[in-house]
Amino acid sequence: MGISDQAIGFVILGVGLVVVLGVVFAIASRGGDGATARAHPPRGVHLPDPSLLPVALSVAAFLLGGGLAFRSEGQLANPFLAIPGLIVLIAGLVAWVRSSGREWRETEHRPHDDGAAH
Amino acid sequence: MSSTVSAQPGGLHTSEVAAEAGGHAQSAMPTALLGMLLFIASEVMFFGGLFATYFNARATSPGEWGPPAGAHELDIVLAGVLTAVLVASSFTMQFGVWAIRRGNIRGLRIWTALTLVLGVAFLAGQLYDYSVLGFGLADGVFGTTFYTLTGFHGAHVFGGVVGLTIVLARAMRGQFSARNHVAVEAVSIYWHFVDVVWIAVFSTIYLLK
Amino acid sequence: MATTTLDPRAGTYRRSWVLDWLTTVDHKKIGILYILNSFIFFFAAGILALVIRSELAVPGLQFVDVATYNQAFTMHGTIMIFLFIVPVLAGFGNYIVPLMIGAPDMAFPRINALSFWLLPLGGGLIFSGYLFGGAAAEGWTGYAPLTAERYAPGVGTDLWIIGLTLVGTASILGAVNFIATIFKMRAPGMTLFRMPIFVWTILVTATLLLLATPVLTAGLIALFIDRNYGGSFFDPAVGGNPVLWQHIFWFFGHPEVYIVILPAMGVVSEIIPVFSRKPLFGYKAFVFATIGIGLLSFSVWAHHMFTTGQVLLPFFAFMTTLIAIPTGVKMFNWLATMWRGKITLATPMLFALGFVSMFLIGGISGVMLGQPPIDFHLQDTYFVVAHLHYVFFGGSVFGVFAAAYYWFPKMTGRKLNEPLGKVHFWMHFIGFNLAFFPMHQLGLSGMPRRIADYSPDAGWTIFNLVSTVGAFMIAASIVPFLINVVATLINGEPAGDDPWEANTLEWATSSPPPAHNFDRLPPIHSERPLFFLTHGHGHGPAAGRERDLVEEPEDDAERRGGAA
Repeated sequence: MGISDQAIGFVILGVGLVVVLGVVFAIASRGGDGATARAHPPRGVHLPDPSLLPVALSVAAFLLGGGLAFRSEGQLANPFLAIPGLIVLIAGLVAWVRSSGREWRETEHRPHDDGAAH
Repeated sequence: MSSTVSAQPGGLHTSEVAAEAGGHAQSAMPTALLGMLLFIASEVMFFGGLFATYFNARATSPGEWGPPAGAHELDIVLAGVLTAVLVASSFTMQFGVWAIRRGNIRGLRIWTALTLVLGVAFLAGQLYDYSVLGFGLADGVFGTTFYTLTGFHGAHVFGGVVGLTIVLARAMRGQFSARNHVAVEAVSIYWHFVDVVWIAVFSTIYLLK
Repeated sequence: MATTTLDPRAGTYRRSWVLDWLTTVDHKKIGILYILNSFIFFFAAGILALVIRSELAVPGLQFVDVATYNQAFTMHGTIMIFLFIVPVLAGFGNYIVPLMIGAPDMAFPRINALSFWLLPLGGGLIFSGYLFGGAAAEGWTGYAPLTAERYAPGVGTDLWIIGLTLVGTASILGAVNFIATIFKMRAPGMTLFRMPIFVWTILVTATLLLLATPVLTAGLIALFIDRNYGGSFFDPAVGGNPVLWQHIFWFFGHPEVYIVILPAMGVVSEIIPVFSRKPLFGYKAFVFATIGIGLLSFSVWAHHMFTTGQVLLPFFAFMTTLIAIPTGVKMFNWLATMWRGKITLATPMLFALGFVSMFLIGGISGVMLGQPPIDFHLQDTYFVVAHLHYVFFGGSVFGVFAAAYYWFPKMTGRKLNEPLGKVHFWMHFIGFNLAFFPMHQLGLSGMPRRIADYSPDAGWTIFNLVSTVGAFMIAASIVPFLINVVATLINGEPAGDDPWEANTLEWATSSPPPAHNFDRLPPIHSERPLFFLTHGHGHGPAAGRERDLVEEPEDDAERRGGAA
């Protein structure tokens, strides 16, 4: 009799999920970080906008990586994973470059501020 | 990732403010450029690892070191032409950088376009070489190390081509000025790095007997 | 703040906190994400450790079969090193380094976020092997030819390779970020030799990450090519060389262990002066020792390969012994800092002292292993397992908990409960020694590592049993820690800006800090700017805790906020 790998995997997943949800609930139940996020920085400090692109590019890497791992014989990569991954990657990179261009235009028109962050 | 770093705007603002405030260890180098140099350092180590596999394989594998029996010998003439193409592209890239440092965005556009053409020519030549060589990745340790080393170099050239395209696109839109063009500087340094790596690859694979 | 687009944070609507955390580029939130994610993986790998120890407690295969056992120790090692210990230290670095140098954020905030999100996704890929026929099972070191397609045919090993490549990329990007931040975004007056030691250790660690991780990436790619595209890097049948893998892996692997320990040393170097009420002894020696360790770490890799018979033994043995010297310098400096100090044994200090004592033992066993004649007998035995756990766990993990107790008030605005912290420490300390000290003896009497079972006649049973008890005690010690964290987050005692009366800049702002970190910076003329702000320059203590914040002229207040 032995414990299967799958069982161990699911047990770990379950415990991990419970733990993280517990801690996240504990943090979130404090009322959130709204107050600190709305404070005003001193003159000259420029903080960058939030962005979904880091998550998106990570998901793209995840899909591409999975595509490489789950390839069948003779393929370069599994198309069901790699093609969506490629699409997200390209879209994400284009969006990143365009937002940098936008930030560049802002800083060009506000020469007193320091450069935009990336 | 080169396109990510190359799209850094406003780098010179940082150095301007630094120059005014005088202050601590801020040199004139924009932060984005420092980031690109650090990234290149890591890429040097990556190629170092690949070169290590090549040299170790060469030193320890039995028999004659070269393409497997039945395949063509390596085409050193073609490789030499590709080297010339890439070296030329480094010059055109640098002319472009000098142009924009003087505020000449039209010059930047022309030189960047030329560099792009040369870069694509390199890739095309590399692919042509692959198609006529007669051996593959799976044909023994020479084939494996040859394709891995040149293949990853080619992938880096492709990354550089993407970066050049972005620079050209932004140059066409007038998004660079004499005091604000850190993306051009970053991409140019990356391009020179790719060229230097090729010289190392060429020397190691084609010249070292 | 950016005002170009309709900025939701301007207050027009309240974003969901899920979206807030998913899209954040604030180094403080990213630091917390790193720490949370790392602890999840810590618990996962900890459960795997309990599986291992349960199986080894007594002879016979009671719980798992050999294949499952192999996956357990492989995943335990991989996850603990790549997904717990390195990221959690990076998380503390992310949160604290910009604060310590007076910067409003890291140099590249979006790349910072990207570095984080690659971790759960890369870790998920590695772990998903369990769902697809078995995770990687060739040890965290993945030696060829065990990892060849022929011997490890499942997709688990491929997922391990790809997941590690993603995680490695995250590390490299993070390293670029840290180095650029530390060189370009220090506040005026903060010269390199006034930076806190923690910042120095992060700087050297980032340099090691930058230069060593790509070599691992090269090796992983080569292995993937061998397994999937018919490559011949490591297959001797077609001219390849299995020992090549070991060279590539350990050229990365040895700097990796210094990557794991240096930030923890930095944490301890922050805590000991504060809780001894004395400045750190030998600041400059510390800096040079750290740099020395970083440089030397690239020259010792083959001490993991003494028994291959293919490496130059005298050179690597010499360099390995040499690298013990800067570490010894640090030990003396910590002790000298405490000497004649006014010592408070608060929980952070307890963990820091635990670090110093346990890492000393691990360091000694390491120097022993660095001598080839000894290593020839002890390679691949439990002596090595004892050594690596004394330095990884007795060192880095103690450092992580020290950092957690020390900086929790700054990150959350509340102080953790002291009595519960002490319960955690003592259970942790005793459990740790019970679990790992017997392994020295096991190794000396010949028990090999990475075996699922052993003979009842070997005389190893009692040591294994004691070790298993210790392992469960460590697991139990997490309970008071978790209770402490959750209860404090819900209803803990407010901490104030500077609950420990510390010396460095992160304590010169509110707890938690505002998004832009500092409204005003104190003047910086030494490596203890807050100390001099609070206590003056030798003209007697300032009245009460009154801060005499210097009104900085407008120009100096123009920060290089987030570089371009």
